[in-house]
Amino acid sequence: MVELKGKNAIVTGAAVGLGNSYAHALAVEGVNVAVCDLREEINDVAESLKQLGVSSVAWQGDVSDPDHVRAVVDGARSAFGSIDILVNNAGVWGASAADDDLDKSIADYELIIGTNLKGEYLFGRAVIPIMIEQGTGGEIVNIATDHMVTCGTPYFCCPGLDACPWGDSPRPTGGGETMDLYDASKWGLNGFLYGWAKALAPHNIRVNAFCMGATDSYMLRSFHDFAPSTEEVDSWMRAEDNAQAMIDMLKEGPGGRNAQNVNFCVGRPVKLEPSHDHVYVIESQVKLGGGA
Amino acid sequence: MSISGKVAIVSGAAQGLGRAFAQRLVSEGCLVLAFDVQQEVMQVEGVTGVIADVSKREDVERVVKQAEAMGQIGVLVNNAGTWRRTPVDSPWEQAIADWDFIMDTNLKGVLMLSRAVIPLMQKQGGHIINLSTYYVLPAKSDGTNGPETDLYNASKWALNGFTDAWAKYLEKDNIKVNGLCMGATDTAMLRGLFEDNTLPPEFAKTVMNASDIADQMIEVIDSGRTGENIGAWVGEPITIGEQPPLHKRITG
Repeated sequence: MVELKGKNAIVTGAAVGLGNSYAHALAVEGVNVAVCDLREEINDVAESLKQLGVSSVAWQGDVSDPDHVRAVVDGARSAFGSIDILVNNAGVWGASAADDDLDKSIADYELIIGTNLKGEYLFGRAVIPIMIEQGTGGEIVNIATDHMVTCGTPYFCCPGLDACPWGDSPRPTGGGETMDLYDASKWGLNGFLYGWAKALAPHNIRVNAFCMGATDSYMLRSFHDFAPSTEEVDSWMRAEDNAQAMIDMLKEGPGGRNAQNVNFCVGRPVKLEPSHDHVYVIESQVKLGGGA
Repeated sequence: MSISGKVAIVSGAAQGLGRAFAQRLVSEGCLVLAFDVQQEVMQVEGVTGVIADVSKREDVERVVKQAEAMGQIGVLVNNAGTWRRTPVDSPWEQAIADWDFIMDTNLKGVLMLSRAVIPLMQKQGGHIINLSTYYVLPAKSDGTNGPETDLYNASKWALNGFTDAWAKYLEKDNIKVNGLCMGATDTAMLRGLFEDNTLPPEFAKTVMNASDIADQMIEVIDSGRTGENIGAWVGEPITIGEQPPLHKRITG
């Protein structure tokens, strides 16, 4: 277990929901946190993080805008001196169907792909050269969806887990039929997960993803017009529990898992499960300090 | 559903796989509209060739309008794709340019062309084929995706979202949607990875032929299966294989 205190992090989309929980959990561990979000409330988040005894800076903006990304990353480095952790969390959801008209589809592409895929790409590509130059390793965590995994990843059915609710009948991948752009944006993250993990293993930089099922968050509550039933809320995972799993994974440090989609499905305990075998990359290629 | 007599649209059809797909569809009796940014598409025998860029909306709309005038669109092959090396530590401006270069064709292009075609296809059903890479299939591809291919791989991974959601949504319209996930095939894109655009002799003996993949595409269409990613691997019979269980359809 590595000590997180004194490290410096960026959390995108940190005004509400999971991103907010990640930022707070990091601050509780003594991590200085730079935050950004489209929402104006992000400035209040920075103030609340400072109350926990860490440094925090905030930017309001759009992660699909390269200038905004540059401002956050350069600003965080200037404020903290280094960047050790990137939590690529900012994301949006919108319904999009195969027979939508072109005007809507292009607008949806710019919003959903722009935020969920391009935003994570830009933040990764802005932070990676800095982490390499620092020479002290690093952590990148992309936030994805359980739509792109079955139970674990393909060819696993929750290996070794007593609590797997799908047992011998693995849950298929994919979301709803009107989620083509959302699912595309999240599937696409695999390109970054595996590509970055391979390229960055020699630099002791880990890259993993959290594949989130239904979690009590702004996004999920918005699907229910912000008035979900008690039963619905009770069935959801808690963002705080997931944030703790994030902390537990970061504390694994360079000896921990790499290039993994960590799956959090409703019905299973919200905790960091053991690492599983790789299917998309060869273990030795993502071994830190001696990779491809 | 027979595709004979139906209009088929093939993007990126000037050479390589796209050209092979177009020619194979002609032999199946389709009226083929083949388009590409490259002039050579005009020399593909038996097709209506059009010079157009799938990443440009106005070109996509022009292509689909022309195809609609040819008859009932029954097949769409989303083949056009682009590739280049994208190292993770590229200069910032290069990284931004790489996003547009790869994604505008490989992802946004597929989206725009499909969105323009699908409402026309819903009337009588049809087939959509999305060209992908075997990198997205875990069974045999572990470790093969290079560390300098993050954007290309992301663009192909993202197609899983389209293939899966479209197959579900369009089932009511009898439109089948599948991905073809290629290993090394003798194409201009593959040759472009090597010096002088020439495959090393030993490697050249092992790569697959585009015409064999075109046969596989027809096999997919004839099968009536939907929502699957179907792979092709060097050194193995090129076949669509048994239908996988639901939870493995999109992942191999």
